[in-house]
Amino acid sequence: MKTLKLWRTFHEGMTNVRRNGWLSFATVAILSLSLFIIGLSSFVAYSTHLVLTNIKDKVNVTISFNQNVSEERIMEIKGTLEKSTREVSSVEYIPREQALAEFLAQNGNDESIRKALEEIGENPLFSSLVVKATDPRYYEVIAEAVQSSSFTDDISRINYAKNKKIFERIQLINRTATTAGLTLGSIFIAVALIITFYTMYITIHSHKQEFEIMRLVGASNLYMKMPFIFEGLFYGVVSSIIASVFLLTVSRSLGPITEGAMPLGGSTASLFLHHFGIIFIGLLALGIILTTLSASLAIRRYLKI
Amino acid sequence: MSNVVPIIRFDHVSKHFSEEQRVLSDVTFTLLPGEFLSLVGVSGAGKSTVLKLIYAEEIPSEGEVYFNERPISGINRKHLPFFRRNIGTVFQDFKLLPNRTAFENIAYALEVDGRETEEIHREVPEILEIVGLGDKAGQYPRELSGGEQQRVSLARALIHRPKVIVADEPTGNLDPVSTQEIVKLLLEINSFGTTIILATHNKDIVDNLNRRVITLERGRIVSDEASGKYTAKPSAAPNVPRQVSPKNI
Repeated sequence: MKTLKLWRTFHEGMTNVRRNGWLSFATVAILSLSLFIIGLSSFVAYSTHLVLTNIKDKVNVTISFNQNVSEERIMEIKGTLEKSTREVSSVEYIPREQALAEFLAQNGNDESIRKALEEIGENPLFSSLVVKATDPRYYEVIAEAVQSSSFTDDISRINYAKNKKIFERIQLINRTATTAGLTLGSIFIAVALIITFYTMYITIHSHKQEFEIMRLVGASNLYMKMPFIFEGLFYGVVSSIIASVFLLTVSRSLGPITEGAMPLGGSTASLFLHHFGIIFIGLLALGIILTTLSASLAIRRYLKI
Repeated sequence: MSNVVPIIRFDHVSKHFSEEQRVLSDVTFTLLPGEFLSLVGVSGAGKSTVLKLIYAEEIPSEGEVYFNERPISGINRKHLPFFRRNIGTVFQDFKLLPNRTAFENIAYALEVDGRETEEIHREVPEILEIVGLGDKAGQYPRELSGGEQQRVSLARALIHRPKVIVADEPTGNLDPVSTQEIVKLLLEINSFGTTIILATHNKDIVDNLNRRVITLERGRIVSDEASGKYTAKPSAAPNVPRQVSPKNI
């Protein structure tokens, strides 16, 4: 009996959708757009966040030492640096032998480089300390502190600008995406809420006189309410599907540009596909909450016993 | 007779919306199962309010209305829809759902009750046959005459096999022929044991029925006769029939 009633009210709700015609279309359109914008901005914020963590690992201050500096001295400096725990997260010692080995591993196949090294006859690289900061903004502070310290004479060169520019740019995108997403998202959610509310309100208003009749023949409030809940549910589900398909298209078209920028070496497309389930469920939940909330609000004033 | 449980009992019922607007004052009467009661009085005498109190659209300001000796005001809001299925209602303006056919209008009353589709397809044509509309099942209210619409409405009122039929000016919008048909149907329904309460200011109907008549005047019962005649006098307020057409529904 319950399923039969559910089916009947569902059928009734779908009839409402059909009768509303353009109004249904407008509701779905604005709701899809809102969900798309919310989805896109949170996706951009999330993927730039991932890129940032990826790049963060590649940003560091590399202190290269003169060849005559002993290992003990370098270890002493390392100890000093490690004491500033607030700014420094790790210090790694790379002896010149290891630096050469790594360099050869990367460029060993290059004939000219190999020849050049042979001509020099000895290891041309420096021993170095690779310093990683707890936060990117400390790199400059660390670099300056090292330069003005007592061991500045031992240092051949400090390289801290590496990747810094890129890092800052992406950080800006991340911040913009988050702010814009939140602002635009809440504006669109509000608009979507109002539009859905009014769509439901107009449908319900056109049924106003019918409610009296329905009550008289013994329809319960819930039975009168369910068609509108289903109508709202329909708008929510359809809109979230449309928004997800749009998001998929956008992330696909961005795919080639963002190839390799993600931590796992993938592009936005693969990232999106990887998280498609959760993204879709999120949008679906948001859409359903928005529309059923609007429907219940709109119907409340018409249903008294 | 005293052993029979009244189907409806009004116990010193008053209804007022404000101090100045007293619609009913101290109304007391008892209705036994199977009775046919005509409720007469000029417009504004309180007939509709008496009916609304029965199908729980209004609650009394003072006193109590009993259905099968159970106070109606004590019915939980949640249970009101179930209670209303005991009472069939018929109105001057028919109150049919405009977007549904005659069949669907009647079926709706069963659908809300969660009845099986097969059962609906069996019972609705039967009841349409009883009211003489077997061939009009697929027509929309706008395609039916006033008398036919009222018969659909009556069929819908009957579908739950209610104990009581409440009819508020059911012939108010009908021509004399249709009026006679509706009254004949009501009498037939009554002969099967259903209690009927008919509010009307049609003198001819009441006089020909020769059944119990309660006359209301300014919210008070002024007479209650077992086989009464229409005695409501035109009061100071002119007796203007309400202009309700099916198109306003």
